Amino acid sequence: MTRHSVMITPDSVMVNGKPLAHKENGAALLTELYRTYVGDYPKFFKMDTLCKLGFVASELLLQAEGEPRFVPREDRAVILFNRNASLQADTAYQATIQDPDNFFPSPAAFVYTLPNIVTGEIAIRNKYYGETSFFVMENDDASVISRQLVNAFQDPKTLSILNGWVDCFDEDHFEAHLFILDKLPTYDILEF
Amino acid sequence: MDELIYTLKQQIIEALNLEDMTPEDIDENASLFGEGLGLDSIDALELIVLMEKNYGIKLKDPAQGKEIFKSVAVMADFISKNRTK
Amino acid sequence: MIVKVSDNIISPLGMSTAENYAAVKEGRSELQRHDGLWGLPEPFTASLMNREAVNEMAKQKGIDDQYTFFEKMIVLSVAKALEQTSIDPASDKVLFILSTTKGNVFLLDKRETGFPAERVRLGMAAKQMTDYFHNPNAPIVVSNACISGVCAQIQAMRELESGNFDYVITVGADVQSAFIVSGFQSFKALSVDPCKPFDANRSGLNLGDASATIIFTRRDSVSENDWVAFRGAIRNDANHISGPSRTGEGSYRALRAVLGDLNPEKLAFINTHGTATLYNDEMESVAIERAGLARVPVNGLKGYYGHTMGAAGILETILSMQAIDDCNILATKGFETIGVTHPLILSNQNQPTDKRAFIKLLSGFGGCNAALLMAKGGAV
Repeated sequence: MTRHSVMITPDSVMVNGKPLAHKENGAALLTELYRTYVGDYPKFFKMDTLCKLGFVASELLLQAEGEPRFVPREDRAVILFNRNASLQADTAYQATIQDPDNFFPSPAAFVYTLPNIVTGEIAIRNKYYGETSFFVMENDDASVISRQLVNAFQDPKTLSILNGWVDCFDEDHFEAHLFILDKLPTYDILEF
Repeated sequence: MDELIYTLKQQIIEALNLEDMTPEDIDENASLFGEGLGLDSIDALELIVLMEKNYGIKLKDPAQGKEIFKSVAVMADFISKNRTK
Repeated sequence: MIVKVSDNIISPLGMSTAENYAAVKEGRSELQRHDGLWGLPEPFTASLMNREAVNEMAKQKGIDDQYTFFEKMIVLSVAKALEQTSIDPASDKVLFILSTTKGNVFLLDKRETGFPAERVRLGMAAKQMTDYFHNPNAPIVVSNACISGVCAQIQAMRELESGNFDYVITVGADVQSAFIVSGFQSFKALSVDPCKPFDANRSGLNLGDASATIIFTRRDSVSENDWVAFRGAIRNDANHISGPSRTGEGSYRALRAVLGDLNPEKLAFINTHGTATLYNDEMESVAIERAGLARVPVNGLKGYYGHTMGAAGILETILSMQAIDDCNILATKGFETIGVTHPLILSNQNQPTDKRAFIKLLSGFGGCNAALLMAKGGAV
């Protein structure tokens, strides 16, 4: 059984361990990946950088998985982790209220000031009715992350988890490592 | 009025992140919500901010938005009658 | 079974669970209108902490001004919950879970220079707390919008079921700021008057400061007075990132998941999210009806505190446990006439009950929903 994975940094993209060719870097890379591999979801352009990153990474991952898309299901959870929560979106929103003489709070910016919104964007796109969660941690600690994922299988409905580290400091500094983890008959051995 | 309509289209495209659209793509008489551009509730709120920021118009009641944002033409008409900027 | 060991609430209604319950039972609230606070041009109604009182109490415990106000709120609440126990918070068998939506977000304001910028990170704020208690484990921070408080309790249940820890301290908190208030104002989601959950004339939510703690452990057998966290579930609407689903999809599925084959007659009440926005309350009524729970009394506590965001799931669960201990269904303050499609059983008066289980229901931005079934004595 192949375990699918995607990695995106400002200057590299890997799908299932193989590099994906690209021309752009940074924020432009995410747009390039969207146009090349997705292209049918204009809501992408409303997203903050964290959501663009998580959305594009999840699209590449699910395309690699090769299962029929957009089939409603409740048995797949989306559980993501990062260090900076929604910092890029928070900073963008703060800019709309920083100056008392130019005070125009933006609802389109405010809606992204929660890190779990990226799990919502993935759930909406894919019709995932299952568990969606977001955890924030100082360190990308694989043992803590794997513990949370194993814990999530205690929900008897959850049979697979789209999971991983999706972090964004600003528009040009981000990283995503996404995986699909399936519930195994015995899941006390997890390799990362 | 034509100039206002054109400018408004540009401003809407920018405010709502309608990335692949140009002012020429927007029919000023098509409905903004529902069938036309398919905008949603957050877009409606952003249009309220746009009106205040660019034209100094404060909507007392957000429910007024339903009437004012029927189309770009209706919006432009409202703006030309109520703008303070 | 996962059992509550102790709890605490710090809010404008008091610094202990008992004070808070007494205030709510009496119908009190600190929801007040604020004009021009934090430089905001539009007035808003909120229930805000008396910061001086908290600072004073915190100082007595060595929580000085090196801690932000948000950090003081969480450390203090945990400290007070621990006081009632003999748990050593420095033990590696103790885990801290923090539930918050915006933590120290006030630090993003360029005029705030009192703390290093990195403290805006939720993990850093949580570390201030675990360092205070000398706890060696990395804290878990749940940031799942307004359902975080229930999510944190579900995480606690899972960690304890796995046998990873002996005790899990779940603390939820948020502190209001220009950032948060202006954001909700831009959504036109706030009511300038005290909120009216489920009411025909409801016009939006109020906001509130609070921190709340529940300490859980796992026991093989429970007494009839032990509060058991029986089952929890989180589900997504898969519909819209901020608007609730018209079919209450995620909320309904979360309810269905925690109900299992439980007889709804065993439930004293469902304590809803009940934010008093047009859409949320309508959505919850749809979900409750779909789940076959329309005959179970329903209540909401945001009329006493406003929406306390990261604290809500924990604070509202604690008060619900207190209510059942008191054979009471707390009144839904602000409710007068039903204003949702399905005729739910709501009251603005306290009502008696002899039932011993309830469901805590929450929804949040991102389309997430959570339900938690709590049962006294564990028998459901």
